[in-house]
Amino acid sequence: MIADTLIIDRGVSAGDAWITVPSESVHDALAGLRSEGYRLLTFLTCVDHLADASREWPARFEIVYQLRNLDSREQLRVRAFVDGEPPKIDSVQDLFPPANWDERETFDLFGIVFNNHPDLTRILMPDDWVGHPLRRDYPVGGETVEFSPEHEKWQTAPEEA
Amino acid sequence: MSVAQGVTITKTGQAGAFGGEILTVNFGPHHPSTHGVLRLIVDLDGEQIRRIKPVIGYLHTGIEKQMEALRWQQGVVVTDRHDYLSPPINNLAYALAVEKLMGVEVPPRAQVLRVIMSELTRLSSHLVWMGTSGLELGAMSMLMYCFRERDTILDMNEEISGFRMHTSYIRPGGVFADATPRFLELLDKFIGSMPAHVDEYENLLTMNPIWRSRTIGIGRLSPEDAKVLGASGPMIRGSGIAWDLRKAMPYSGYENYEFEVATSNDCDCYGRYLVRMKEMRESVKILRQALDRLPDGPVNVDDRKMLPPPREELETSMEAVIHHFKLFTEGYSVPAGDAYVAVESGRGENGCYIVSDGTHKPRRVKFRSASFVNLQALERMALNHMVADMIAIIGTADAVLGDVDR
Repeated sequence: MIADTLIIDRGVSAGDAWITVPSESVHDALAGLRSEGYRLLTFLTCVDHLADASREWPARFEIVYQLRNLDSREQLRVRAFVDGEPPKIDSVQDLFPPANWDERETFDLFGIVFNNHPDLTRILMPDDWVGHPLRRDYPVGGETVEFSPEHEKWQTAPEEA
Repeated sequence: MSVAQGVTITKTGQAGAFGGEILTVNFGPHHPSTHGVLRLIVDLDGEQIRRIKPVIGYLHTGIEKQMEALRWQQGVVVTDRHDYLSPPINNLAYALAVEKLMGVEVPPRAQVLRVIMSELTRLSSHLVWMGTSGLELGAMSMLMYCFRERDTILDMNEEISGFRMHTSYIRPGGVFADATPRFLELLDKFIGSMPAHVDEYENLLTMNPIWRSRTIGIGRLSPEDAKVLGASGPMIRGSGIAWDLRKAMPYSGYENYEFEVATSNDCDCYGRYLVRMKEMRESVKILRQALDRLPDGPVNVDDRKMLPPPREELETSMEAVIHHFKLFTEGYSVPAGDAYVAVESGRGENGCYIVSDGTHKPRRVKFRSASFVNLQALERMALNHMVADMIAIIGTADAVLGDVDR
């Protein structure tokens, strides 16, 4: 197991083992786990805990890495919590190539900035989109009808959201 | 800049290896051979590919955002629509994740029905792949043959769930309805006839010189690359690695069925084709075993807090009316926590990661789609191949764009 100093918390949720690591050392922790046999990053995503009363959260955004050891078939979920505007965390795409698109998606939909990512651009939404749709404070059905005057006004709004 | 059939060309000014200039060519997003709306920006030296960059997002429908606004039982309908060629397998991943968080186990009959629907879906998904890939590579008649069999699968979908495509059949707590006698009859007939049909496809393609020259040695993906790039499904098995979630991490009782994991050491488009053909035969074997052992009993968990009471009870029991009312106005809540479940779809690892904050709506639902990850291997596979080979490579990667963009 990786150095205990890197693990803040650990537990099991519905049978899935997980650990929490400090957001600034997520690259070190994942590099350590990779050398221990967790060679596959199944997915990487983010959870927005805005106004989540189910427990105390250390920060608003939780970055989730699901790792798998292809030989022993063990799975491990790594969590890191980030805050700030924009929230920043180190990229792991040099360790796990599939993370490249996952990180772009997380940037696109949550506005998480991944340091050292080679091409951190929007992937699912159009390049000129304003805002990050999967954040909890982004409304459903808030977008205007395309090709209408309102849409033009909304699309040219200053990028601050 | 010239435009023809959705293709735009720009000169880069760099010299190519054949005395010409490297051109940046845009394919799609509305190009007929890209399986939906995939856009590719390709640097071409003569006809050889020097760089390829997929641009996705043209089919993004915000499914994960919609899930957050729907109650747990309503979300099933949306899961149908991301990988639109395998709705019941998407349902299954979501249902298993919700059940895992709630600690619910479905009855044996429901488990077997889930396996039957999963395998039928795998077959129909492979048939669509076979038909469209054949069409792209010049085997025009494949589409007609494959869609003939796919139609019988859609008839069965209609018989068991009322819908031909977006079945919403598998849902948390069990399945929508029990199999009708007519469904079992159709299934029996289908299992009897399908192996001969697979033979028919193989007769048309496996030794076909045109098909072989279009696929053998094209789009090589070494086993190491397949592992590193996180490929799954026929992509990794076509590279000789026997990784199948049904065997590696069984769910829904797959450990009780006898079947082989189809692999091929060819590591090219032809290998991936062989894997899919073998998988179709194995699916038929699983279907036969499932139909033979289909146990009697309920198809849903007996939990009135999760699933509505039977119609007859509503007329006699006040309790049932209350449960019915609560379920359809408020829904059920799932304990706070998170769970990840992965199932094997026709394209690879189809996972569902759910986070609950203890309320009746999900906090976050993430679909880990196989196509999204497999498509990232495109650059590795297509480098230094001809433009025409790119069509074969995209075809055998079998990316469903609804699944890529969600």
